[in-house]
Amino acid sequence: MRRHLQSSVIVLVLVVLQATFIPLLNINGVIPDLLLLWVVYNGIRRGQIEGVTAGFLVGLLQDLVTTQFFGLAALSKSIAGFLAGYFFNENKTGVTLGTYRYLLILGLCSLVHNLAYYTIFLLGTDVPGGLTVITLTVSASAYTMAVGSLPMFAFSRMRF
Amino acid sequence: MLERLYKLILFFKEYAILAGFLVLSFILMAMNDNVQIKQLRTLATVGVGVLQNQIAFIPRYFRLAEENEILRRMNLQMADEVSRLREAKLQNLRLRQYLEIKEVAGYPVQAANVISKNLTMLRNTLTIDMGSKDGIAETMPVVSPEGLVGMVVAVSDRYAVVNLLLNTDFRVSAKDQRSRVDGIVSSNGKDVYLKDVANSQDVLVGDPIITSNYSNMFPEGIRVGLVTSIESAPGSLLKRIEVTPSVDFVNLEEVFVVLRTPDSERRALESSSRR
Repeated sequence: MRRHLQSSVIVLVLVVLQATFIPLLNINGVIPDLLLLWVVYNGIRRGQIEGVTAGFLVGLLQDLVTTQFFGLAALSKSIAGFLAGYFFNENKTGVTLGTYRYLLILGLCSLVHNLAYYTIFLLGTDVPGGLTVITLTVSASAYTMAVGSLPMFAFSRMRF
Repeated sequence: MLERLYKLILFFKEYAILAGFLVLSFILMAMNDNVQIKQLRTLATVGVGVLQNQIAFIPRYFRLAEENEILRRMNLQMADEVSRLREAKLQNLRLRQYLEIKEVAGYPVQAANVISKNLTMLRNTLTIDMGSKDGIAETMPVVSPEGLVGMVVAVSDRYAVVNLLLNTDFRVSAKDQRSRVDGIVSSNGKDVYLKDVANSQDVLVGDPIITSNYSNMFPEGIRVGLVTSIESAPGSLLKRIEVTPSVDFVNLEEVFVVLRTPDSERRALESSSRR
């Protein structure tokens, strides 16, 4: 119960940061995804079910506070959480989260997440699809990975 | 059968949950135009908007260079605009002042813009954008709201040249407004003097000097300037009286030409009496 409460508070803080402060860090329209860091962390730490559930709920919350396609962040974050859950290993959580492995997993999940997000987001728009999706996917994933190095250093000092 | 299905779902429960959430997500996406969803999102958007407003003071570091460039351009445009507005305001003030001048000493006036100036010691002239087509003629006095500017010395159809009070060729009969002492105002190209005033005559520093009725060229009572210094040279019967012109020639932009030519009858009579 206490853990869920803590998670809820963290998620709320991250949602607020994502909607307010993070847009200030935008580079050519690309911003890092703090909520994805949390979803991937949950997947690695607790497995696929928690990862996908966290992904869906966090995505839903993100959909609420953005004016974009409702349900799209929930969908893409569910997939990312599920994917991160593949790397769940109870005995190696500390090693996975506190090393470059976390960044690699984060990068992979981010690529899949952004690919799903931008593909659906740009469907039916006048924006030329393929190259834009790839550009946005790669740049947003790289930015998220770069920001993800900060919690990685924090995780390396924690005991799991 | 149901038990098998249950076991299968339990075995692939992660996939089942993922599939459930994905279906739910698609349903939500299909409900994007739903009124309740819209209202819920409106509330969330308002909440985030309030928070965003609170952190609006934080600069966008990655866009600072771009923003600086935009701000610099805006600054330049606005500075230009402010300059033009200030110019318009000053012109407005001047023109309001000039509107009150319709005639000088009973003579009609013609407003003109100064289009060029030569304030060197040897020349001290200005050119105005009014000429003979506008009724301007040689020897006409030129004034401004502050006082006497000079006299028209050359005219073309659309332009006229004015000899300023500072011009070495310029002379005008003038008097001390307070004591009514007469003299001749002239200049050495730099300073203006009231000449031909005897040492015994009453002239004080600060006295205003105006054109006198002895002049056939200038109407009486036009302000020339103020007495700023008086010296009595040893061995001389006359005072050396320096007058500061009331007109700021450096900043002069608009003038009025008094449409008055010398009285020919008076001129003819004075000429004949001299012979």
